[in-house]
Amino acid sequence: MFLLMFSTLLDYYTGLKMQDAKSQKTKHFWFWLSIVVNLGFLGVFKYYNFFAESFAETVSHLGWQVSPLMIDVVLPVGISFYTFHGLSYVIDIYNNRIKAERNFVDYAVFVSFFPLLVAGPIERATHLLPQIKKPRIFDYSKAVDGLRQILWGLFKKVVIADNCAQFANQIFNNSAEMSGSTLVLGALFFTFQIYGDFSGYSDIALGTARLFGIELLRNFAFPYFSRDIAEFWRRWHISLSSWFKDYLYIPLGGSKGGNWMRIRNTFIIFIVSGFWHGANWTFIVWGFLNALFIMPSIIMKTNRSNMEIVAKGRLLPTVTELMQMMVTFSLTVFAWIFFRAESITHATQYIQNMFAGLFSKAGYVNTLNFIVWKTGLVIPVFLIAFIIIEWVGREEQYAIATLGMKWHKIFRWFFYVLLATLIMLYFGSKEEFIYFQF
Amino acid sequence: MKKFVFQTVTFCLLVSLAFLLLLSNADGKTDAFYKRFTSPKQESLILGTSRAAQGVRPDVFKKHLDKDIYNYSFTVSNSPYGPAYFNSVKKKLNENSTNGVFILTVDPWSICSDTKDPNDSTNFRENNSFVGKTTFVNMNPNFEYLLENLAGQYHTVLNKMDGPMLLHDDGWLEVTIKMDSASVSKRLKSKLDTYRNDNLPKYKFSSVRLQYLKQTIQLLKPHGNVYLVRLPIHPEIYKIEQELMPQFDSIISDISPATNGYLNLTTRNSEFQYTDGNHVWKESAAEVSQIIAKWIKD
Repeated sequence: MFLLMFSTLLDYYTGLKMQDAKSQKTKHFWFWLSIVVNLGFLGVFKYYNFFAESFAETVSHLGWQVSPLMIDVVLPVGISFYTFHGLSYVIDIYNNRIKAERNFVDYAVFVSFFPLLVAGPIERATHLLPQIKKPRIFDYSKAVDGLRQILWGLFKKVVIADNCAQFANQIFNNSAEMSGSTLVLGALFFTFQIYGDFSGYSDIALGTARLFGIELLRNFAFPYFSRDIAEFWRRWHISLSSWFKDYLYIPLGGSKGGNWMRIRNTFIIFIVSGFWHGANWTFIVWGFLNALFIMPSIIMKTNRSNMEIVAKGRLLPTVTELMQMMVTFSLTVFAWIFFRAESITHATQYIQNMFAGLFSKAGYVNTLNFIVWKTGLVIPVFLIAFIIIEWVGREEQYAIATLGMKWHKIFRWFFYVLLATLIMLYFGSKEEFIYFQF
Repeated sequence: MKKFVFQTVTFCLLVSLAFLLLLSNADGKTDAFYKRFTSPKQESLILGTSRAAQGVRPDVFKKHLDKDIYNYSFTVSNSPYGPAYFNSVKKKLNENSTNGVFILTVDPWSICSDTKDPNDSTNFRENNSFVGKTTFVNMNPNFEYLLENLAGQYHTVLNKMDGPMLLHDDGWLEVTIKMDSASVSKRLKSKLDTYRNDNLPKYKFSSVRLQYLKQTIQLLKPHGNVYLVRLPIHPEIYKIEQELMPQFDSIISDISPATNGYLNLTTRNSEFQYTDGNHVWKESAAEVSQIIAKWIKD
C-alpha cells in the first residue's frame, strides 16, 4: 500500500514538474527521476533476488563461491501493473502526448482504480483519465452488459480455469511419472487454465468498471482462434502488448530500420515481456520462444496479414484456417510449458518425456485412465461447451455479449442462471488468479 | 435503476434457488458424514470413531435385536468423547425414548487428546470440525452442513465419482476397497507408521474426555440400555494402544458399572479381517456386529 501511494505521489508530482518545467533539462531531470525510481522499485521488489542468484551462479562457473545477499520481501500485489500505469503517464507527458493531471484524486483513481489495480488491464491516461473526470450517469444497458461480462468472467475463472488448474497441477507436479500423452494433456489443461484465469479476470474487471460507467481497454480477443503467432499477440493480453509496442518497440526504432532492426526489436520486446511476468528464466525462455515463433512472419512481413477475426460472418472456418489455428495453438501450448514449469530443467524434462512417450500405446491407456478416473467426463464436456460458446461469440467483445439476444427471454435467463449456478457449484476452491503474482 | 435492481435481485434469487435445489441432491456418496446430519432424532445410537462408523452395522442389529440402532460415529479427529460430540449426541437423541439401545464404542484414542494440555477442552480439535459446528443435526436436506463443509466441492453433489465409500441410511459407512494381501499390507504399514510416529508421541490420556464419556453414559441411561464395546483391531495396532494406555481396560472396567456391560473384543483381534489394521473389513463388521448383538441379547 505504501509503495502504491508513494508511486502515485511521485508520478503525480513529476508529471506536474515536467509540465511546468521551464527548460528541457529540467523536464529531462524529472522524467528520469520518475523512470529510475519506478523501475528501481520494480527491480528491487521483483528482480533483485533473481539477479543476485543468477550472478552467484554465473561466477560459481568461474570457480568463485559467492553467497549473495537475498532480500526476504513479499512481492507487492499489482506492482508490475501500477508501475506500468505510472510509466505510461510520465512518458506521455514527456512526449507531450498529454497534459499533466492537476487533480490529485483523479490521478490517484487512474492509477488505483480497483478493478484493474492488481492484474490490469494496463490502462493509458489518455483513455482512462477523461472518463474519470466525466460525471457518471447510470446507464441500464451498460450496467446489464457489465454484469453479463462479469458472469462470463467468473465462469471462465471458477468453472474452467480452476478445474483445469487442479489437473494441470497434478500432471506438472508429477511429470516424471506421467506418460507422454498425459503430459500433452497437462499442457492443454494449463493452456485453458491460464486463458480462463487471466481473460476471466479481465472480463470481471471490465464488467465491474462498466457498472461504474467506465470502459477499460480490452485485454483479450479470442487468442486461441488466431491463425499465426502475430495475430495471437494482437489478441492476448492486448493492453500489455500494445504498451510494449508504444513504449519500447517504437522508441527502439520499430520496423523502420529494415529487417535486422525488426528482428532485434522483436526479440527485445518478447524477452522483456517474458521477464515482466516474473523473475525466472522460464519466463524469459517463454518470451524468447514466442519471438522465435513470430520470426517467420516478421521476416516475410506477413505479420499483419490476419487482422480480422477468423471466419468473419461465417459459421465454420475453411480447412486452411483450421490448420493455421491448430498450428498456432500447438505452438502456444508448447510455449506455455515453460511458463508453467518450475524451472528450465523441469520444462526440458517435461518436453523430453512428452515426446519420448508420445508413441507409446500404454501411455494413451494411462491418459485415458487419467481422464476417466481423475478428470471425469464433466470437465471435458465443460471445455467443449466453452470452446463452442467462445467460437460462436468470437466477433463480439466477449463470448456471450450477444449470445441469446434473439432467444425468448426465458431461455436467455435460463442460460444465465445455469452459468451462475455452475459458478456457485464450483466456487470456493483456493486457486488464486495467476496474474496476481505478477 | 429500479429495473436494474429488481432484475438483479430476481436473478440472484433464481440462482440461489437453483443452487439449493441442486445441493439437495447430496446423499451417501457426497461425503462420509453428511447423511448422519439429515436423519431425524434417534431412539438408539451407536457412538464412537471411524472404527465404529465402519465396523458396527445397524442392519445386523435390526436382524438380531429387531431394533433400529443408528450409527452416529464419525472419526477420531471429529468424534472422540468431549464437549463437541456430547452436544451433538444430545441433539441427535430423541428425548422421549425410554427403551433405546446405546452402543458406546471405546478405545484409548477416544479418551486421549493431542492438545498440548490434554485437558484443555477449549482447544480440542473437534471443536472446529463439523461435529462441533453443525447446529442442526436432524435436517433434511441439511444446507447448514453442506454450505459449511462442502465449500469448493459443491459440484460433488452432481458429479459423483465411483468412490470407495457409501454412507447408508442407517449411518453405517460401507468401504469397498481392494483386499488382496499386498494392498492390505501396504495400508497397514502406512497406518502403523502414522499411529506410531505421528499419533503415539502426541496423544495423552485426557481426564476431561473420560469425564465426557461418563456424562454421555449419564445422558443416555434414562433413555435405555447403555453398552460399552471395545472393537477389535489388528494386533500390531493393539500393541501401540497398549503403549499409549496400558491401564485402558481397567479404567473402562471402573466406569462400566454405570452401564449395562463392557465387551472387550480386542481379545479376539486375530479372528477378523482389517482394511488397514484400524478398521474391520465390511464382512468382519457383520460378524463383529452379530457378536455384539448376541451379547446384548443374552
